[in-house]
Amino acid sequence: MNATADFYTVHPKDAPAEREDIRRLLAANDLELDDQIEVFVVCRREGRLVACAGLDHYTIKCVAVAQDLRGESLSLDLGSEVVHLAAARGQFHLFLYTAPHNLPLFRGWGFYPLVEVPERVVLMENSPVALERYCDSLRAQRRPGKTIGGIVLNANPFTLGHRYLVEQAAGACDWLHVFVVKEDASMFSYADRFALVAAGVKGIDNLTLYPGSDYIISRATFPGYFLKEKGLIEASWAAVDLLLFRDYIAPALGITHRYVGSEPFDVVTRSYNAQMKQWLERAASTAAAITVVEIPRASLGGVPISATEVRRRLAQHDFRAIGDLVPATTLEFLERRFPATVQ
Amino acid sequence: MKVIKEAIAGTLESSDLLVKVAPSDRGTRDVVIRSEVIKQFGKQIRRVVTDTLDKLSVSGGSIVVEDKGALDCVIRARVQAAVLRACEANQLEWERLS
Repeated sequence: MNATADFYTVHPKDAPAEREDIRRLLAANDLELDDQIEVFVVCRREGRLVACAGLDHYTIKCVAVAQDLRGESLSLDLGSEVVHLAAARGQFHLFLYTAPHNLPLFRGWGFYPLVEVPERVVLMENSPVALERYCDSLRAQRRPGKTIGGIVLNANPFTLGHRYLVEQAAGACDWLHVFVVKEDASMFSYADRFALVAAGVKGIDNLTLYPGSDYIISRATFPGYFLKEKGLIEASWAAVDLLLFRDYIAPALGITHRYVGSEPFDVVTRSYNAQMKQWLERAASTAAAITVVEIPRASLGGVPISATEVRRRLAQHDFRAIGDLVPATTLEFLERRFPATVQ
Repeated sequence: MKVIKEAIAGTLESSDLLVKVAPSDRGTRDVVIRSEVIKQFGKQIRRVVTDTLDKLSVSGGSIVVEDKGALDCVIRARVQAAVLRACEANQLEWERLS
């Protein structure tokens, strides 16, 4: 019998019995079933589920092989299957999470380690050169100066609070590099968010605006971030995202300071800000420490301006109230996108 | 032939290889080879890969090879398959595949 013949795919949301078998196999390997996984490749031998690997968009997670079947290259078959499944779904640039002690196994799958949170997790990608090439493209954008700042914005959508943060940071630096989160997982699309940031930061001359990348707050580097709109918070992987920034992105651009707005409302963002200080400033790393500067949010009538508040008012179609929170460019966009409905 | 999209061919099983081909925004042809037998056969593997790409006139693209000790004929076949998929080649020029 063909050894690969007993592999098949499972959509855990539509197959409760399969899902339960997967959950048991993962539990036997000290792993939890990740609800973000859209599809699993699984292998059954004589009816028993013996191997699984999950795919969350372009990230492989929840990989397990039954203890008694290890050492017979079942894992390599599993690796081939999941890589081909991803390809069939249009995903070629893949990331993978694993515990540090399994790193050699996944090297055999053609994955290379990017960053490790000691004793917890390693993020790997299936290219030995992709991150380095991305950093090369950043290096070409280096600017001279002693204080070089970096900001990562989701801007969902761009508010006067974002404008204030960028102005304050740009005023404090010789040059400011601004990244927009690329993932299309927020209420507003990446294309719209980027266009509003570009329009909103006009007039600030010492900054470069970058499209986002898979290496900066993406589903791969920080899966938990995109659950916050749904009110779900998983164990935070912020460390992986921040170490990537510190070890690769900041050195490529010579970034010395990372600026961030204080976060009065959102739990995920607030915890991200706290972890920023840990991983960019204090944690042991071969890369230089980056100073984290938390800038108090701009507020209106004592209430901090936030994109969350803009979305809340948008739900009520209260454009007059939104006008106080966003620049004219964002307001025009919102009025165009959400024309008043005839009741 | 022009690489216009990403494609893969092959597996990670022993005596096989996985070939990943992608368009390169730099316009150059970058070949990265990783092999379990790189010390003994690295030069030969690179020669086969380069030769296969030359015959197909692939001048640009990123080619990543994860080799598990495949024979030359297998390497050639997998590289060809990945390139033909990445170039969306419908009309095959069989003499180039020999």
